[in-house]
Amino acid sequence: MLAIDARDVVKTFHSGLLGRRRTAALRGVSLAVPRGAIFGVLGPNGAGKTTLLSIFATLLTPDGGTVTILGHDVVREAGLLRRRINLASGNASFLWNLRVAEILAFYGRLYGLHGATLRRRVEQLLEVGELGPHRRVPYNELSTGLKQRLSLAKSLVNDPELLFLDEPTLGLDPDISVRMRSHIASLRRERGMTIVLTTHYMREAEELCDEIAFIKAGLILARGTSGDLKRQIRIGDVIALRLDPPHVPWLSQAPGVLRCAVADGRVHCTVDEADKRLPELLRALHSEGVMVRDVQVREPDLEQVFVELAR
Amino acid sequence: MAVWAFALRNLQMASRNVFLLFELLFWPVVNVMSIGLLTRFLGLSGPEISFVLTGTIAFNTLQVCQLDVAYALLYDAWSKSMKHQFVAPIGVRHLTVGAWIVGMVRGVFVFLLQALLARWAFGFDPLGAGPLPLAAFLAGCFLTAWVIGVLVCALVMLVGLRAETAAWASINLVLLLAGIYYPISVLPGPVAGVAAAIPLTYFLDAYRAHYGFVPEFRAPLAVGFLLAAGYILVSHWALVAAVRRARRSGLLLKLSE
Repeated sequence: MLAIDARDVVKTFHSGLLGRRRTAALRGVSLAVPRGAIFGVLGPNGAGKTTLLSIFATLLTPDGGTVTILGHDVVREAGLLRRRINLASGNASFLWNLRVAEILAFYGRLYGLHGATLRRRVEQLLEVGELGPHRRVPYNELSTGLKQRLSLAKSLVNDPELLFLDEPTLGLDPDISVRMRSHIASLRRERGMTIVLTTHYMREAEELCDEIAFIKAGLILARGTSGDLKRQIRIGDVIALRLDPPHVPWLSQAPGVLRCAVADGRVHCTVDEADKRLPELLRALHSEGVMVRDVQVREPDLEQVFVELAR
Repeated sequence: MAVWAFALRNLQMASRNVFLLFELLFWPVVNVMSIGLLTRFLGLSGPEISFVLTGTIAFNTLQVCQLDVAYALLYDAWSKSMKHQFVAPIGVRHLTVGAWIVGMVRGVFVFLLQALLARWAFGFDPLGAGPLPLAAFLAGCFLTAWVIGVLVCALVMLVGLRAETAAWASINLVLLLAGIYYPISVLPGPVAGVAAAIPLTYFLDAYRAHYGFVPEFRAPLAVGFLLAAGYILVSHWALVAAVRRARRSGLLLKLSE
């Protein structure tokens, strides 16, 4: 069962005099997100991540293609869909004079909550966001971390089936980011919520997402699990060897070795497939009389994949 | 519930805004006093004073209500929170009607304040026409305010915050055209035609008739309400279309950044 089924989504922004300057934000994006998944959209600035998320959240109308979210067409059935989704963003902003509890209550009312139900929901959200002690603080007096916790709490006001998070940990201190990520993971674990998030942080994507799509210049360049992406990009595994003698000139010419570099007293060989090349290398080194004192095998991290794809 | 959400939000925002005092107290009092004193300096007669002060009071009442309707979107544009309300299952009617309710409450307050002041300082009683004419007159002010406020909102959704000055500037067209300080018969022909298209012109005409002025129009209340109803439909449609366009152009997102 799909939460999101997007096909050939196209979006172009017009600017300048008479809208003559055109910027293609999305150039035929297709995406399928299963229900209950945490799906990450990665990409450099201006890649089209927020545009894609905004189309999914009915804030932006696509120029072409079809998008079906939770069984509803995002254009024709936007009203029905809005009851079942919500959105939080890292650079969220709310009315400066309203207090934390008032902001939550305001958005609760927009979703039809009232009376005791509304009061209960506001209390729950204050608890979820650890915002209780700040309930009477006006928005413009909150710290960045509290603002983001409020944004996430607000996005849960209608108990959405599908939650869009646009850079949810942007600008947060590391300890708060960790708590925010753990909270996002718990939303799926405890409520079965489908979550689509955009992020710049590879660690966040790797830690949270079942699947990742890498978008650049309005096109999805790669998608899959973080492991899939690493394999697709073929940037290779790294075998780090501590050798005696430390310099083995022929190593970089060995079959399957893409490049070698010496660092920290080790030779770091990037190979096409570590599983296949490691036994071959060890045999060759042994037959040449080179002693192998230590071996480490490392997969490339998602950050390297990002750098490679963004290039 | 969504209408109540916007009404309560506007009320909360207004109650913590120092400019509220200026909108509710300072400007209305200054306007009634300065115009009233001007009529005294010019040596105007009782009916003439009532003519001018009726216009002044109507203008201030309308302005306060119209600003509240415009604030329905301006608050979100200023706070960059536009996307959060448009991702919710609401229609623009919830937004504008909620803000309009608060505008009417504030408008009634401003009207009563000015009425008391006009009676105390200049011997003119704006409440003297009786409850039904008064209710029709205030309804005319508030309906005109709704139309102008919603058109300002539509403009904000079309061109962004560049249109925010329209919230304060647009009302001055009413000042010029709707017979606030003078009967529209003194306006040049084509301009008088434009004035005749403004609902407030008719409500002022009808209300002034209770103070001895011969109405310039036949059945002014009926025409005023019909015109207002037509403009309400047009302005609502304009706002719906502007929001739809903002979703296409991306302005809705830009107003949230």
